[in-house]
Amino acid sequence: MNESLKRGLRLGLIFGIVFIFFMLIGFTTVATSIIGQLVGNVDAQSSSGQLPVSNLIIFTVIMGFLTGISAHKKDLKPNWIHVLLAGLFSGLVTGLMVGGFAWLIGGLDAQGVDFRTYLPNLGVREIQYLIFNVPPQAAALRYILYFVLSSVVGALLIKVLSPGSTVNRAVVTLKKTTVDKLDVGKLKGTLENKYVLVALLVAVGALMYFLPFVWGSYWNYIMGTVAIYILLGLGLNIIVGYSGQLVLGYVAFFAIGAYTFAILTAPEPHAIEMNLWLAVLISMLTSTLAGLLIGLPILNLRGDYLAIVTLGFGEIVRILIKSDLLTALTNGPKGITNVGQPFWRGRLFTDTNYMHLLMLLVLAGLFVAKRLKDSRTGRAWISIREDQTVSQATGVNTFRYKILALLLGAAIAGLAGALFASRNQFTGPEDFTLMVSVNVLCVVIVGGMGSLPGVVLGAFVLKGLPELLRELSDYRLLAFGGLLVAMMILRPNGLWPVSRPKFIKQRLEACKDEPMEVSA
Amino acid sequence: MTRQAIRVNNVTKRFGGLTAVDDVNLVVDEFSISSIIGPNGAGKTTLFNCVTGFYSPEEGEIEFFDKPVQGLPTHKICDMGIARTYQNIRLFKEMTAIENILVGQHTRMESTWVESILHNPHFIKEEKEAVGKAFELLDFVGLSALADTPAFNLPYGAQRRLELARALASDPVVLMLDEPTAGMNPQETAEMMAFIKELRDSKMITIILIEHDMRVVMGVSEKIAVLDYGRKIAEGNPAEIQSNQRVIKAYLGPSMNGMTNRKKRKKQNDA
Repeated sequence: MNESLKRGLRLGLIFGIVFIFFMLIGFTTVATSIIGQLVGNVDAQSSSGQLPVSNLIIFTVIMGFLTGISAHKKDLKPNWIHVLLAGLFSGLVTGLMVGGFAWLIGGLDAQGVDFRTYLPNLGVREIQYLIFNVPPQAAALRYILYFVLSSVVGALLIKVLSPGSTVNRAVVTLKKTTVDKLDVGKLKGTLENKYVLVALLVAVGALMYFLPFVWGSYWNYIMGTVAIYILLGLGLNIIVGYSGQLVLGYVAFFAIGAYTFAILTAPEPHAIEMNLWLAVLISMLTSTLAGLLIGLPILNLRGDYLAIVTLGFGEIVRILIKSDLLTALTNGPKGITNVGQPFWRGRLFTDTNYMHLLMLLVLAGLFVAKRLKDSRTGRAWISIREDQTVSQATGVNTFRYKILALLLGAAIAGLAGALFASRNQFTGPEDFTLMVSVNVLCVVIVGGMGSLPGVVLGAFVLKGLPELLRELSDYRLLAFGGLLVAMMILRPNGLWPVSRPKFIKQRLEACKDEPMEVSA
Repeated sequence: MTRQAIRVNNVTKRFGGLTAVDDVNLVVDEFSISSIIGPNGAGKTTLFNCVTGFYSPEEGEIEFFDKPVQGLPTHKICDMGIARTYQNIRLFKEMTAIENILVGQHTRMESTWVESILHNPHFIKEEKEAVGKAFELLDFVGLSALADTPAFNLPYGAQRRLELARALASDPVVLMLDEPTAGMNPQETAEMMAFIKELRDSKMITIILIEHDMRVVMGVSEKIAVLDYGRKIAEGNPAEIQSNQRVIKAYLGPSMNGMTNRKKRKKQNDA
């Protein structure tokens, strides 16, 4: 009993603070507008351009629901009274806090206090919206009511679904009779069948070929950006994920690739207009060379020191590109326009063609990275990541392998840069800020260090999702931070952690094929 | 005529004002089992680190079959044929048992990164042989059933054996074991002793060990060197060492029971 009250109080406090925080930064308004669009509750827009208050009610109810669910979830021995109490109490606390806050701002607003000096998201209109366009006292009561009701419902719902309850038992039985009847072994066997596999690959290939035609240029652009980030992630994954060298200035190689390509193919400022495929190769070579120049002197550094030096390198490259010193070469802050575009069947590359090219390159990159991983080279890299001193004493020429990782990563970044410049037909110094390095590093870490599916997943999550949630773009950094914190707690090894290759099975299969070897 | 596998000539290693190894001479014959003993802080591990290239000695030379090794990077020394284990187990934790051994074979393999992308016949053949050899080594140390287990998940004894197998994977001529029985119970210790002897006999490897357990030292070694405060105070076969007055005074103690004396010593230190 006492325990339930305490838990209710604690969670009520947490959710109350979170909700008030959302109100202060204006997130409540954004969230309600998303809800409005989702449920189609936008047509009744008032003349002031505000959404109907009902959306705010939905948001409040959802938050209250979450409060109730969390209040229950932590309960070790749930019984009806405890659940009810925890839900009621947490809802009440949240409601009191939020209601009090609404009363406060509503009341102060009525007195003519202007919050916008300090809190730009709390204008008169927003405040009226937050108090449901009713007097502050009434709004406070409504908040309390909504929170208490939704929180109790949330708590009760979880109780109903919790293990051991009738509903839960019914669900489990249903699952047993349907899902578990599927023979997983048989399914696996079917998948291992060569013809089925080929058919599946053909289907996926066809899908990948036709999708870019169907989904239009907007999606081609977004997915193209994701693909470029997958490429960058694959490159950085070799450096950070495999060999464990924390390089923070990865964007430098991306920039050098993009600029080399742009200078070689654009009519301005040099009018070289070289063959594009040759230019791509030269871009990769230049990035690799840059990797060699920076890698030779610094790769003996370890950990933090390496991170700091490479961080500086990334910024130096961007500033050099922008500087007066190199304006003649790089067009300075203006950037280079009309970067060359390849031809396909006599016509300039369309967004569909770019998408296809990027897909092919991503597949090739995955193939190369996978094969490198499961080889003498890949094992040497991972051993360096695990313990550099011992790795060297075990016979690995650590310096050589670290340089190799850096060069391969730089070459892939150069390739991605060339494609980036060509696709955008423009490249400027502000495309290559520190944030790009940080984003790519996040792709690698969020996906799971050293994991290839992780890189793909990470690129989709970090570059694709923000595009989908345009509404949230102002809160991207907030969401980023929240995501990273949640990741560290829930999945410290990344969304798709790396799996080690299995050798025992390999050995058994080899024995099956050659029965002679067993007797020998 | 037995050859000399390792020769340490007047080696001195200093850390700032502290002389960890002081003018030590040591000769290790091929195919022998030798031990280095001494109290904690006597410079035993430092001497190991000098031989395997972790440290570069300030004075003196270290020769491996008459070739100088000091100043060479550790991977070259490993390639020449000196492999070692560590006092505190240092495996590649995230890698599986068999992958640890495959890394151990690194220096005996030659496929390049280009070959690993192409999967040409040479690469495939070498990889297959390497996996086969790794399983042989795992069988040898009794770990093949745990081949796919990440090293950090292995029990302590298995980790020690895996570290040994990793060292053996580079086909060493000289194997240096830093306290191979540390943390083992009497039965495991006895097994390790038998294992060390079998290793020398079956693979014809020269073995040098650092050890505190006197039953192991006296049981397996043919030659013992005693270090104290960085200086070599005695050298000889087990019988000579047991009767050496300086050694008894510095390390063994008069009762000739290593375990109890170490405990006594510890008590004195604690007091």
